Amino acid sequence: MAAPVAARALRAVPWSRSCVPAALGARRDLHATPACLKTRAARVRVGKGDKPVTYEKAHAPHYIAHRKGWLSLHTGNLAGEAGAAERTVEDVFLRKFLYGTFPGCLANEVVLKRRANLLVVCLVLVQSLAPSKLYFLIGYAETLLSHFYKCPVRLEVQTVPTKVIYKYL
Amino acid sequence: MAAAGLWRRLCQGSAFPVNYASRIMGRQCFLPNNDLMGVRLARSYVDTQEHKSNPLVSISDEPETLYKRLSLLVKGHDKTVLDSYEYFAVLAAKELGISVEKVHRPPKKIERFTLLKSVHIYKKHRVQYEMRTHYVCLELKHLTGSTAAVYLEYVQRNLPEGVAMEVKKTKIETIPEHIQKPVCDTLPQAEETQVKS
Repeated sequence: MAAPVAARALRAVPWSRSCVPAALGARRDLHATPACLKTRAARVRVGKGDKPVTYEKAHAPHYIAHRKGWLSLHTGNLAGEAGAAERTVEDVFLRKFLYGTFPGCLANEVVLKRRANLLVVCLVLVQSLAPSKLYFLIGYAETLLSHFYKCPVRLEVQTVPTKVIYKYL
Repeated sequence: MAAAGLWRRLCQGSAFPVNYASRIMGRQCFLPNNDLMGVRLARSYVDTQEHKSNPLVSISDEPETLYKRLSLLVKGHDKTVLDSYEYFAVLAAKELGISVEKVHRPPKKIERFTLLKSVHIYKKHRVQYEMRTHYVCLELKHLTGSTAAVYLEYVQRNLPEGVAMEVKKTKIETIPEHIQKPVCDTLPQAEETQVKS
């Protein structure tokens, strides 16, 4: 009885989701995304709750500039500036190089900052190696990279006892 | 002394405020203590004494270049970084006694492009990226060449990473000698009779 009355009332009024009276319990939902949409870029899929995940990995790329920052800071991508491709190639090499130099020690992604000629590499390392070994590796990386890129390279390292887990997925 | 005389002549001709001219006196020295800023006459005396002892300060006889406007356009991806940098630059200008004309934020520019999501086929599935550039424009007025050099060096050494700056300077020059007097005054009188007939 109530249903035809409600249907007639709805037909008279221009249709919009907001004007559906909640008291009647009738809902018209709009499906905006296709049922099988699965964007997989830079996302860790939700699992059983046993997978530890850092803050960086837990957030999807659409959270950049909202909840996440940038990993590589340079002026190449600004409007009217050149050199984006060169910086990207350098970044890729630097990340691979550091991943190999500090085996199993990287707690999070490497942050690269370029200030004028200076290249600042910010690392967070897990305390798995002895401090003397770490100092040697830092000096080795700085010297080698400075000679390779012909610019002063500074490594700013912070150590942490274990990887900082943000949540379990 | 010649520089000081030339400076005074230029100041009388242009619209510079009087206290600015008397403070600077054609020489720049970066004094860290601000208590001497108010005492104008005493400061010029202190200036000459300090220059003799301080090896970092150099005096040259060539006249200072004058800038009507110094426009700094700062661009970056992160708006909060730009806001904090603008606060720093304005504070630095105020400490150095530079008058800030205006600080405005031109609208951001977004560069968007759409690429294919897959390596091989699947033309219907695309991915979109965008790059946002935010701007902050700082306009300073009435600077001398050495003030501009000091300020720009300080502000540029402290540019954060990922931020770029474009500087535009508007220089003031004296009118060239050949057009200092109106041209019609120098013409001979014979030309006037020709025009009449």
